[in-house]
Amino acid sequence: MRRGVIGSTFVLLAATIASGCATSEEWAEWRSHSSHFASGQHATFSLKNREGTAPRVARSDIEAARSENWWGKAITVSPDQIFQN
Amino acid sequence: MVAPRWAAAGLLVIALGAGVVPAPAGPIDDKLIPLERYATPKARALGSAHQPHLYKYSEHIYGCLPWLDVQKASIGFQRPKFAEGDDRYFSTWIIVDQKDDPEFAKIPQARRMSAMFSRFGMDLMRRMATVHDVVTDDNVSGFSVVTSWLKPGSLAPGGQPVNESIAVFVDKKSALDYMEKRITAADLTTKARWLAFDGQKELPNLPLEIWDDFFMASFKVPNYEPPPGITC
Repeated sequence: MRRGVIGSTFVLLAATIASGCATSEEWAEWRSHSSHFASGQHATFSLKNREGTAPRVARSDIEAARSENWWGKAITVSPDQIFQN
Repeated sequence: MVAPRWAAAGLLVIALGAGVVPAPAGPIDDKLIPLERYATPKARALGSAHQPHLYKYSEHIYGCLPWLDVQKASIGFQRPKFAEGDDRYFSTWIIVDQKDDPEFAKIPQARRMSAMFSRFGMDLMRRMATVHDVVTDDNVSGFSVVTSWLKPGSLAPGGQPVNESIAVFVDKKSALDYMEKRITAADLTTKARWLAFDGQKELPNLPLEIWDDFFMASFKVPNYEPPPGITC
């Protein structure tokens, strides 16, 4: 239960901060686009922390979440379409 | 004079190298363009002379901007495809880690390109401008940032996801003039050159608009702790 509360708080806090920091007043969609990372997985970070301690998110946690949510190699422009050596 | 917040970011970049515990080497080292990949003496000289600065800059991104991934072998001194001479731009290629968002999908593609560069690419240029030794090198012509992200709606089952990308090049004087508020974002747009891509398909004549967006300067991942030795 406590873990769930911590996780929910974490996600809400991230959304609040993200939406509050956007600056464009002319573009509501962009202001509301607050998601970084594959959402939801953030909550798993706090589950790794002991109850009663402040949750900590390490760079390795982010890498792990990124790997878990990897959707496969995307078709991307190749460097030689942009640069010459 | 670069704006105070970016000067502060520059101090952080500098501070990163002062007696810190090294972060894992792989995620930082492999982002730099290997010296052997440069095809001209000028590029190799730049890469060699500024390798320590590039390393610290790469370390800063890794430790302080965890929502970005940096393309391997992308930090260094690139020559744009359109360059006729050996013009070298201080370059970075970032991949913005974000989910497939229906709201984002509603935005027209050209607008997405402008928004993603204004928010993420421009911030990287500001951080690059704080790497003093690189910026003051006369052999560095400007800055370039390639910003890539998942094209909304491209995660259809059975299909291969697609990234959208915008590569923006700005000469050094124009970039610094903008950052130091001598010219406006609209002025900067007229001086920038860019290449836009849907996957690997180039989108010629795609209009780009740049505007002020300081989201990256204030966004934090709640409860995030940078790797040991890195202060953000």
